Amino acid sequence: MAQDHPNLIQMKGITKSFYGTKANDNIDFDLKQGEIHALLGENGTGKTTLMNILTGVYFPELGKMHFKGKEISYKFPGEALKIGIGMVHQRFSLIGNLTVLENIILGLSSNKFHLNLTERKKLITEYAEKYNFSVDLDAIVDKLPIGVKQKVEILKMLVREVDVLIVDEPTTVLTKQETDNLIDILKKIASTGKGVIFISHKMKVVRRVADRITVLRKGKNVGTVQPEEVSSHELAKMMVGRIIESSFEKTSRDSQKKTLQVENLHVHSDKGLLAVDSLSFEVFKGEILGIAGVSGNGQTELAEALTGNRKVRDGKIWFKDRVITNHSAMERIDDGISYIPADRVNVGVAGQRSIWENLGLKIYRKAEYRKGFLLNNKKIKSYAEKIIKKYDILQPGINFPSLLLSGGNLQKLIIGREIEAESELYVSVYPTRGLDVGATDFVRNSIMGLRNSGKAIILISGDLDEIFSLSDRIAVMFEGDFVSVFENGKYDVAQIGLMMSGNPEEEILKN
Amino acid sequence: MFKYKIQIEQRERVSNRQEALITFYAIVAALTLTGIFIALNGVNPFIAFWQIVRTTIGSSYGLSETIVKSIPLIFTGLAVAVALNSKLWNIGAEGQLYFGALFATWFILKCPALPRTIQIPVLLLFGFLGGAFWAMIPAVLKLKFKMNEVISTLLLNYVAINIVDYFVFGSWKGKDNFPYTEQFSMNNRLWQLGFGRVHAGLIIALLLVVVIYFLMKYTKWGYKVKITGSSLKAAKYAGININKTMFTVFLLSGGIAGLAGVTEITGMQFKLHHAISSQYGYTGIIVAWLARSNPIIIVGFAFFISVLLIGAEMLQITMGLPAAVGTIMQSLILFSILGSELFKNYKIKIRKGE
Repeated sequence: MAQDHPNLIQMKGITKSFYGTKANDNIDFDLKQGEIHALLGENGTGKTTLMNILTGVYFPELGKMHFKGKEISYKFPGEALKIGIGMVHQRFSLIGNLTVLENIILGLSSNKFHLNLTERKKLITEYAEKYNFSVDLDAIVDKLPIGVKQKVEILKMLVREVDVLIVDEPTTVLTKQETDNLIDILKKIASTGKGVIFISHKMKVVRRVADRITVLRKGKNVGTVQPEEVSSHELAKMMVGRIIESSFEKTSRDSQKKTLQVENLHVHSDKGLLAVDSLSFEVFKGEILGIAGVSGNGQTELAEALTGNRKVRDGKIWFKDRVITNHSAMERIDDGISYIPADRVNVGVAGQRSIWENLGLKIYRKAEYRKGFLLNNKKIKSYAEKIIKKYDILQPGINFPSLLLSGGNLQKLIIGREIEAESELYVSVYPTRGLDVGATDFVRNSIMGLRNSGKAIILISGDLDEIFSLSDRIAVMFEGDFVSVFENGKYDVAQIGLMMSGNPEEEILKN
Repeated sequence: MFKYKIQIEQRERVSNRQEALITFYAIVAALTLTGIFIALNGVNPFIAFWQIVRTTIGSSYGLSETIVKSIPLIFTGLAVAVALNSKLWNIGAEGQLYFGALFATWFILKCPALPRTIQIPVLLLFGFLGGAFWAMIPAVLKLKFKMNEVISTLLLNYVAINIVDYFVFGSWKGKDNFPYTEQFSMNNRLWQLGFGRVHAGLIIALLLVVVIYFLMKYTKWGYKVKITGSSLKAAKYAGININKTMFTVFLLSGGIAGLAGVTEITGMQFKLHHAISSQYGYTGIIVAWLARSNPIIIVGFAFFISVLLIGAEMLQITMGLPAAVGTIMQSLILFSILGSELFKNYKIKIRKGE
């Protein structure tokens, strides 16, 4: 433990308001050398704001900050990194069409005019080995799974020799194994005398990784505790101020009608490699098929192929007894397939367009929303207002661009829109990733509600708790194929974890 | 060390009012800089600016000339703006303008004598097709071979002008042996509106503004274009055929630029030659950008820019200033507006240091 170590960071009385609401209200926070200090709190409690203040993106109205005993005063946002405070944001700041190496060295100062890539590569490889990273430096960033992109971001900071590493909601995009790997890496980083600030709303992970936990609620510091001092129950109470019990009303599956049947499906990844490999399965009306797996095993490609966003190389897809293999994305929307994509910010909405235009995305083509040749924008807007009201979406006004919505409200927008589209099949990918307790609850209840009203649902998730609490049947995906498909309840977490790393069902039954 | 320090902080968002104010300040800053330049030429900048106002909107001759010049700028501004709506950069309005004029002239030479009420719409159609045809090349290059449209549209401008040269120096040369066609006969000329040289191109341009406004705001196509412009992935997700959408955007954009060409040659120049456009295609980019692609605001900025251009020509005559003053002003305005983007994304604060 690092209790007696010297302070790296000290923040005192930090206060910052946005449009009259206090995002940070007189917050004290400190970080010692060699410790991992977690900032725990629901979405919108001011964790990221506090760290944006620490890294100079915002200026506090009140309060002082010290770094290694010296007062910090920034002139521009880039300065934090120069003095040794680096932050990995929730939305990565990587340039997609450059390689990992190019991304890492981008902005690294050098006296030489000549860019010696081989030398740089050697240097970065050393860093990667020191902290047990396995990253292909020559890979194009866009083609990497999110878990790897995150490693690249962390590596970027390490190469810059930061003393303080801030990671914002790092595990929301990761599977259990990837999370374990990340925790190991962060512990290793802390053990070299650096300080790590771990922002998260996930109690379980925070308890595992942190030396100390500071809980924020509504912009205030509720308390700093050590994980072994408090129970999960107490910690949850600190976080939300109330206790949420999630349990679902689950009606029994009555129908054996197939909504979707997939046979011998082959789909390529962006790299042109086989991402989904001779996969066959079916989904019945009124059931949730949970697909578990380590991310990057073809889940995203599968979802895209089912919804017409990716070409099917081989195989057949039946939807309600009709072959739809060659249907375009538009035709599949009309067939009755809804898609709740993993990347809600870039795929789920057109961020710069208004909230009402995004809510109208599924209905604007319908004749009832037109006046002759022209769109009836008034009617689309009132439709949008209806969804906003029904799904309780907090928004600044329907004419504002949808990128202003918070993660939870954005997901409410997408899910609300898709539910109102009244499809037969819902393909939802990591639907609660990065959401706080309240929004997660909303999403899970919505999915359950869809199931109970007789829709078929494919739930791809990295969160095994979610898979367990929602699914009727569970499929485990590994290297483009299902290792096994079984009724929920047949195997426990550990067994599924084994399957996720490619161990076949028979082997697990043997043990 | 320093008594004051400048701090830069990210903004959450800007209101429309703030945005308009920032643009206004940028224009003021640009005019100030131009003023300094004028002063360095030994002319009182206030008198010069007053001269610009007086000689353009202050006299009926000046006003009519300013309007005449803003007609092609409305077209090219619209052309660029339509493309910008789906995040495509059409730098090729200049070339498409020439191709519009080329197609229309071809028809005039082949078939000059239809009644005017039939002839003119046919010429407009040919102009539109010419521009659209020339825009189709970069469209195919982009959508089939992923070639960047900024480069292809820009380079094709030079090709287009050279093709026009090929004809006017060659088989289309008129009787007096200069490199331009014969003067067009009356039924190949747009109607004059009885105010200086202002011609019916103005009415066509304004009608088009309304059409584009409605097309963008109230049609499925406009909806698709805007979603595509905001995020390709989201557009694909929503089932929009991105390639088809972008292709039609290219054609429409080129077609509109083509109309600038026809209305120029049938409205006031009455012949095809090497220099039918004074950089209208490029100035259109500035107009579209300043107007943030809003069709109605484009009319205002097209007029504003032509005030600067005509005003500067007048300055040259009356005060002996170089005509380049107009171009300098234009560039400085664009420059300041681009620079002012910083203030939209960041707050700059000056604080007292310790």
